[in-house]
Amino acid sequence: MALPLPQGLVPTEVAFLCEMEMVTIVPRQRLESIPLLSGDTPALRPPHRAQMPLWLALLLKKQRRANIVPPAWLHPASLADIIHHETNVDPQAFSPPPPPPTRADGRTGRARPFQENIRSTREAPKPGDDPRLAPPFLPSCTADAPAGYLPYHWLELAEALLAHAADDVPAQAEVRSLLRDLQEVRAAKMRGSTQSLEGGGGVVVLRGVGAMELAESRGFVLGVVDGVRKLGASAEATRRDEEANGGGGGRYGGGRGEFEDSDEEMEF
Amino acid sequence: MSYYDLDAILTDAEKVPCKFELDVPDLGYLDNNPSQALKAQTPVSLPLWLAELLALSSRTQSSNPEDSAPFLTLEMPKALSNEVVSALKADPRAVALRDQTHNMYGLATRMLDLFEEPELCAVLRRTFVTRAAETALHARKAGATDDVVRGEGFLSGLEEWERSLFRRAHDGNKACKEWMEGVKK
Repeated sequence: MALPLPQGLVPTEVAFLCEMEMVTIVPRQRLESIPLLSGDTPALRPPHRAQMPLWLALLLKKQRRANIVPPAWLHPASLADIIHHETNVDPQAFSPPPPPPTRADGRTGRARPFQENIRSTREAPKPGDDPRLAPPFLPSCTADAPAGYLPYHWLELAEALLAHAADDVPAQAEVRSLLRDLQEVRAAKMRGSTQSLEGGGGVVVLRGVGAMELAESRGFVLGVVDGVRKLGASAEATRRDEEANGGGGGRYGGGRGEFEDSDEEMEF
Repeated sequence: MSYYDLDAILTDAEKVPCKFELDVPDLGYLDNNPSQALKAQTPVSLPLWLAELLALSSRTQSSNPEDSAPFLTLEMPKALSNEVVSALKADPRAVALRDQTHNMYGLATRMLDLFEEPELCAVLRRTFVTRAAETALHARKAGATDDVVRGEGFLSGLEEWERSLFRRAHDGNKACKEWMEGVKK
């Protein structure tokens, strides 16, 4: 009650979590592997690309020791594709989240974070020991992320890259304006998504919504859901009573059920 | 609903029209006639908390619920009358709910507990959802552009639930905008 923070994560917290996303970098200097809590970073050898958490990549970028390779979905053509999908192909729903990465043999599996790769070289992976990762935890911001799909942390990552590694992003002015368009389109959909509550169905479909958009609209959507629930509370209570009475009638036989129904009508 | 919820207390104090089923001595001043008893069937307005109690309790000692006779009968308040509901059916956005009562939805939920009105419930739900989308749009635009005047009519018509919704939507947008401006650091 006295906690000043709103429910859920605030935008700054979401941006902090986004810094754990893996991005691809092209190092300019050699750097030995660093042991971190989340695993060892790969040793950097200049012409070879490597996967790094965003926070470390931004640090190296600021020290001019690496360049960041922007993910494929941040390309202007990909963003324009997504906007086309949002406005023309499916004007009701959000564009779908990226599909799980496919392996070379055609089975759906996952791209492994760097520490997993290191571990799997040490010990042979057991068959069947392959936990599927859900979209927020996929390395979906690396250079080999699929184009045309917005990952969970799209807005935060794009903003961070444009702010700190703008010279690595191709056609950054265009990307900026496309991002603004995309944000507006999706914010309008977010407002419209609550319209589906009108019939009393009570389900808001939020598939494909990014973390920052959730943080932004959480208060509003929860407020609408709560308001609809309160308005329908009495109708819901009546419905439950009727259901309970109907069930009771079924158990005791038809005659008893009829008696209960007539009893109820007398009350009104 | 908390015990200290100001909106709940204010909703309790809303006046609802009702009629006493019997003559009440010494209550004539409610009908601007202090010298005489309040006649049965005189329309008076009582606060919701009092009217609800009197309408639900029985004045006889009989334990049989069939012949319970309440002290007074309740009617729908003016804010939920047929005219307002028809206007809401026509266009939810065109009605200034705040002019009806400050706690429109709070009052409505209380009345829906007392009356069985599935149609009113559906109309109110549609009103709330439609106006919520409009509220969110204004919350996003507020402070960002100069055309505040355009939405002023709608915003001054928001009642308490919608005001808190506006505040929550605006807080979310504001926090997001602040982060976006600070990301450059």
